[in-house]
Amino acid sequence: MGAAGGCDVIEFLGEVAAWFADPGTWSGRDGIPARLVEHLWISGVSLAASVGVGLPLGLLIGHTGRGAAAVVAIANVGRAVPSLGLMGLAFILLLPLGLGVGPVPTIVALTALGIPPIVVNAYVGLREVDRDLVEAARGMGMRERDVLRQVEIPIALPVILAGVRTSAVQIVATATLAAAIGGGTLGQIIYIGFNVGDQVRIFGAAVVVAALSIATEIGFAALQRAGTSPGLRGRPYVPTEPAQVGREAGEPMNP
Amino acid sequence: MRTNRTFVLGAALLALVVSACSPGEGESPAASTDAGASASQAADLPAITIGSQSFWESAVVAEIYAQALEDAGFTVERNLELGARDVTQPALVGGDLDLMPEYIGGLLAVSYGGEPTPDIDASLEALRTELEADGLVAFEPTPGTDADGFAVRQETADELGLATMSDLAEVAGDLKWGVAQECGENPNCGPGLERVYGIDYESLDLETLGACTTAIAEALNASNIDVAQVCTTQPEIAGFNLVLLEDDQSLAPAQNIVPVARQELVDEAGDVLETTLNAVSELLTTEELTNLGAAIILNGESYEDAAAQWLEDNGL
Repeated sequence: MGAAGGCDVIEFLGEVAAWFADPGTWSGRDGIPARLVEHLWISGVSLAASVGVGLPLGLLIGHTGRGAAAVVAIANVGRAVPSLGLMGLAFILLLPLGLGVGPVPTIVALTALGIPPIVVNAYVGLREVDRDLVEAARGMGMRERDVLRQVEIPIALPVILAGVRTSAVQIVATATLAAAIGGGTLGQIIYIGFNVGDQVRIFGAAVVVAALSIATEIGFAALQRAGTSPGLRGRPYVPTEPAQVGREAGEPMNP
Repeated sequence: MRTNRTFVLGAALLALVVSACSPGEGESPAASTDAGASASQAADLPAITIGSQSFWESAVVAEIYAQALEDAGFTVERNLELGARDVTQPALVGGDLDLMPEYIGGLLAVSYGGEPTPDIDASLEALRTELEADGLVAFEPTPGTDADGFAVRQETADELGLATMSDLAEVAGDLKWGVAQECGENPNCGPGLERVYGIDYESLDLETLGACTTAIAEALNASNIDVAQVCTTQPEIAGFNLVLLEDDQSLAPAQNIVPVARQELVDEAGDVLETTLNAVSELLTTEELTNLGAAIILNGESYEDAAAQWLEDNGL
């Protein structure tokens, strides 16, 4: 029995490999390339929109310290709302505008899904910046804008980018559900697999989605490292004078 | 409070009227002898266990069978919404169920690996051959069929003069289609449209949504698409007043509903079982099935009420 089960698994994986080797898998409307491109552009647009909305909001709240309650609310709502429900809602709301079918409701839903981690991380990142540094910057006569741009953001950047990374991975993974509401993406291949009872395709496409999510994670982790100010990286930096730290941290933004 | 009291009064009155009605029917001399006959018959008539699959249509048709057979004097036990065919069919073959509403094409393909065609008689013949080996009998099919179909909005049908799939084929390229994700490889969808109606599937302007879903019907109703792949008895067709296009060149395989019963039951029950069920089947058109679905899914009626109402409306 156990041996037979093992053989079944090997046989199944062989079928999956054969599916990947089949040229048909790589061409046409429902081939991996077409759906991958669709998956990427829908995810990219959604992430850009999430950053466009979430980042200014998070920075504003983090810088002023006002609206912390809103952040908690956003974070909780973001966690509580099921993604598929969000897509269904976007679908229903956009139907009267003639935009219910196609990529738009998916992008709206993914954007809504992507915003909370970005807002929360931007807020937390800014709040965690040493208050003494911010006060010192102000004391040096920096305008609020410059305090934000030259002191707070550079120091908070790793945390901010971690939010973008979380958001990106969530968006890429969740975009799979778009196939339910006409959004296509790699999820389309999984849906077809379900509807025609082809487990090989379900598994194969799921592997592609998983690989894409992991690649996104790795890519953004690299970006996060690159975005970490040299002064904050690796070896602990022991400040002797607070003002000096402010200047050094500001350097990459203002060479 | 007042509305409440009025309501209670109304309900009491209604109950009174209903209770007054039922003995009234038995007052005619013919009916009273009938009642005597069926009472004595009931002793001989076997009890019937009716099953259904887990979706509204299978359940309501089973409920209609149940009520019609109860009227005919049978004792009926209901086992509705048991699961999918992989549960119900073994139960029927094994004797846990005596009777099931089934789909010609679905049962033939799923349980017996057969290949249903649009030809009802040929498909039913093939099914009956398979059923015989399992000690089962299929009676007469409904005229109504629950298959893949295509629907348009009433206004589109009026504007373009669409009544059949052949009409649709002539304007296929001008319309936006909503089809199932797997339409391209479903022989009854993409390839079938091409083969039977000469519609160039690859060049169609299409979006993919789940077929037979509320979503695709909503999308059609809200003009996000112009043609939707539906199930022919989908409740929303009635709910949104959509036009189901007639499959005039026979693309869809026969998915008409047949009562499938155990041979043992048929032997014991005699003609009354067959005549009762055939009388029901004869009247179940695609439109009637759709309306039953609308009553249940869109208006929230129970299977029991919808079945009773249907039997009453049809004088059964």
